[in-house]
Amino acid sequence: MEKDIANFSIKYLQEKGAEYAEARLEEYDNTGFMLKNNTPEISGFDKNSGLGLRFIYHQTLGFVSINNFDKDKIKQTIDKSLSLTKKSSQIGEKVDLSKDSIYKKNYEVKQKQKIEDLRPEDKINILKELDKDVLNTKVKVPARYFSLSDVLTKKYYINSEGKEITSTIPRINLFYFLTIGAGKKLVQRYWQYGAVSGYEAIKKWNIHNVLQDEIKALDLVQKNGKKGPQGKIDVVAGPEITGIAVHEACGHPYEADRIYGREGAQAGESFVNINSIGEKIGNEAVTVIDDPMIENAFGYYQYDDEGVKAKKKYLMKNGIINEFLHDRQTSFKLNKKSNGSSRASSFGVEPLIRMSNTYIKQGKYSEEELIEGVKNGILMKSFTEWNIDDKRWNQKYVGSEAYLIKNGEIAYPLIRPTIEITTPSLYGSIDAIGKNFELHSASCGKGEPMQGLPVSLGGPSIRIRNITIK
Amino acid sequence: MKEKLAKYINKELVKKGASDVVVNVGEVDAKQVKFVNNEIVKTGVEFIDHLDVFANFKNKLVSTSLRDFSQAAADKLIKEILAFSKNIQKKDDYYGVAKGDFKYKNVKDLYDKKYDNIDMVDLTMKAINASLVNGKRSSGILESNKFKNYLLTSNNVEKEQEGTHFYLSLRSFYDKDSSGHKNVAGRMLKDFNVEYAGLKAGEIAKDSRKPKKGNPGKFDVILDPLASAPLLDNIGNSASIFSVESGTSFFMDKLNQKVANNNFTLYDDATYANGLNSSDFDGEGSPSQKTTVIKNGVLKSYLHNASTAKKYKTKSTGNAGLVSPDPSNIVLDNGSKSVESLIKDVKDGLYITNVWYTRFTNYATGDFSTIPRDGIFVIKNGEINGAVNNIRISENMLNILNNIKDRANDLQQIRSWEAEIPVIAPSILVKDMNITRPVL
Repeated sequence: MEKDIANFSIKYLQEKGAEYAEARLEEYDNTGFMLKNNTPEISGFDKNSGLGLRFIYHQTLGFVSINNFDKDKIKQTIDKSLSLTKKSSQIGEKVDLSKDSIYKKNYEVKQKQKIEDLRPEDKINILKELDKDVLNTKVKVPARYFSLSDVLTKKYYINSEGKEITSTIPRINLFYFLTIGAGKKLVQRYWQYGAVSGYEAIKKWNIHNVLQDEIKALDLVQKNGKKGPQGKIDVVAGPEITGIAVHEACGHPYEADRIYGREGAQAGESFVNINSIGEKIGNEAVTVIDDPMIENAFGYYQYDDEGVKAKKKYLMKNGIINEFLHDRQTSFKLNKKSNGSSRASSFGVEPLIRMSNTYIKQGKYSEEELIEGVKNGILMKSFTEWNIDDKRWNQKYVGSEAYLIKNGEIAYPLIRPTIEITTPSLYGSIDAIGKNFELHSASCGKGEPMQGLPVSLGGPSIRIRNITIK
Repeated sequence: MKEKLAKYINKELVKKGASDVVVNVGEVDAKQVKFVNNEIVKTGVEFIDHLDVFANFKNKLVSTSLRDFSQAAADKLIKEILAFSKNIQKKDDYYGVAKGDFKYKNVKDLYDKKYDNIDMVDLTMKAINASLVNGKRSSGILESNKFKNYLLTSNNVEKEQEGTHFYLSLRSFYDKDSSGHKNVAGRMLKDFNVEYAGLKAGEIAKDSRKPKKGNPGKFDVILDPLASAPLLDNIGNSASIFSVESGTSFFMDKLNQKVANNNFTLYDDATYANGLNSSDFDGEGSPSQKTTVIKNGVLKSYLHNASTAKKYKTKSTGNAGLVSPDPSNIVLDNGSKSVESLIKDVKDGLYITNVWYTRFTNYATGDFSTIPRDGIFVIKNGEINGAVNNIRISENMLNILNNIKDRANDLQQIRSWEAEIPVIAPSILVKDMNITRPVL
């Protein structure tokens, strides 16, 4: 890594009068593959790098991104940025950062089956095998799209306080989009798998079996599915639904930058306010955790993009709002320390407050026991469409693989049962938590320009009592 | 230097057996101001260099880029491309990049020479101050960039383009339950009216105060361009042949069939003057075109590059994307009535000024929902009658296309969080739109 460029830039910013400066030098080495209807599309490889500089000048925050490491070009770009930032300070927010320990760290996530040890052909064959699995089900799947990518990211973070953190993170990402059946009843399934790991992740995902089971189940939905009961009934939701609900309706509204309005124009604000800590929002069965330190999870990191040590956060504890996600700016406003939630999707963008791996804490019931406790209801195992408003209050989840539950037993598949509910109604209606556990991978969007960032989301199956199904 | 390297890489790859090579070289110089609650919270300055390479070795397709613009690095990259291409599999349905020599028309209003004089802080203050005439606090982003692009292909294309972009997204808040949003975007400063955006966003914010709970049901809905853009954006994406093949299009098997109301005609137009994605040429050097995607309700064309066009025995629409043909600017012609006049035509309906979080249950059938946000106004007997909140449009794209009954004369160019493909469209009136809401 060209670490001297980062060091040079910090020094130059300080010489020019910046009150604070930090540099993130990032190098990416990645490959990517696509398979559409068993035909390989374009394949790619890339080695890229760039420098992101964040600084405070005249008490105003400035950011520079550059991938040309010519020192004169860097100076010229910094000068331009300082001039814009100085002028902006006329109506600039006065920025300060909370205190944090100074340390020098170097960490690397080890790979068992290294990204660079697999040939491009081996990677395409992973997708071809999956396509074969789909065809072997004998189910009609007329459109099949798969993609696979990997990236090894080396990051060098330094700031003017003396912090220095170097990390090496491998990441694997697999996505598929399948169209099952034909005519008006056809169904579609898309899902993402991701890990901070080498290619050993592929085996761990057991994706061959999972994919075949999903396709067979969805084929039955499109062939035999019936419109389900509507009105107030019980729902057992699988880990996929737990995950999306916890990400959208607990993680996002608890991002402190959102609460302060910093993302108000696009990602939106929040239905909670900064004084909502301690308020009851859900049933006491529910505890929600955001933990960047889960090894191999897609949102794994040890130090965030302000160089703050990652930490397990209890966002909701037994139904009570317990902790928000903070960076050094929002925690300064509360005279607290950051809990290490600041992340940027690349060198080219400023870090924002983001989730990592977010989930509901496991309970004591098996999924079968949760189902047994339902007289008249539905089991929703997976979802297709979902959305939520920008205060994180009004949300919708449309079931993909779902079944009717009659007297504690699965009866038959249902077509698209729909939950359209408010956040307190959802969390207030969860009465029992399973002991099963799954984390799923996703790309979370926030910021302008949009930053898509790897996260994971999940938890156990949950039982939601007496909610309206459409 | 980069152009020289591009020529060298192109020549060497052809020498080594590549039948198609495309090298795209350029640089982007960008500035940004982010403001929150009437204060600037961050400035951004960016400089990015790039040299991207595409090569086809007997239907084995490789894409990569050069990071270090030296001769040694170029030689290393060429070796890596050759090794990589030996190790991948063929795309049997690939038919090569566009073959020049082409004649190009110069698309108007793509580069503003006044770019370097732009005062980002002054423009931000103007936008905020305009929003404060009616609103109480405003947040958003102002962006500008200047770029240079040089495209060289093994098939007789060598072309340069310079351009500028300007973009403001401003959301004004009146209180915690009322807000308004407006974006302005374009290639030229003369048409970049930040004060208009601020004023309109503030007006919507003030007018939408004290919203009531919205009712579910079927309503005639007027969608402001900011609200219709995400829908038209999805319609544009659905027209790409890549989407059709991948199962992500609701236009699958519908070519030359009726997909929309008779009065509905939609274009993809990369030649649109001042269009955000306008250019003299596409990603493989084909001259830019205006393509009629839907004419009088009939789907007339998918979007193609040279290879997909050959596969489907048609002509390229100039939408390369070397693998996936992508829409350029989606254009819906201006209507003749004012928005006020459209409102007068509605007995029982809604006027929706923005939506977000558009997601599909099924791309092939077009079933989706999206959430109106900011000002949502009730229309009763041709007049605005207060604001509502907490509703959702739960609909089908083909239904909507069939139910677009009228267009206003307020044509705007929209780029937004929800509409990454630029959309140039007026407000539209959609009959019988299905509105749902959560059970509270």
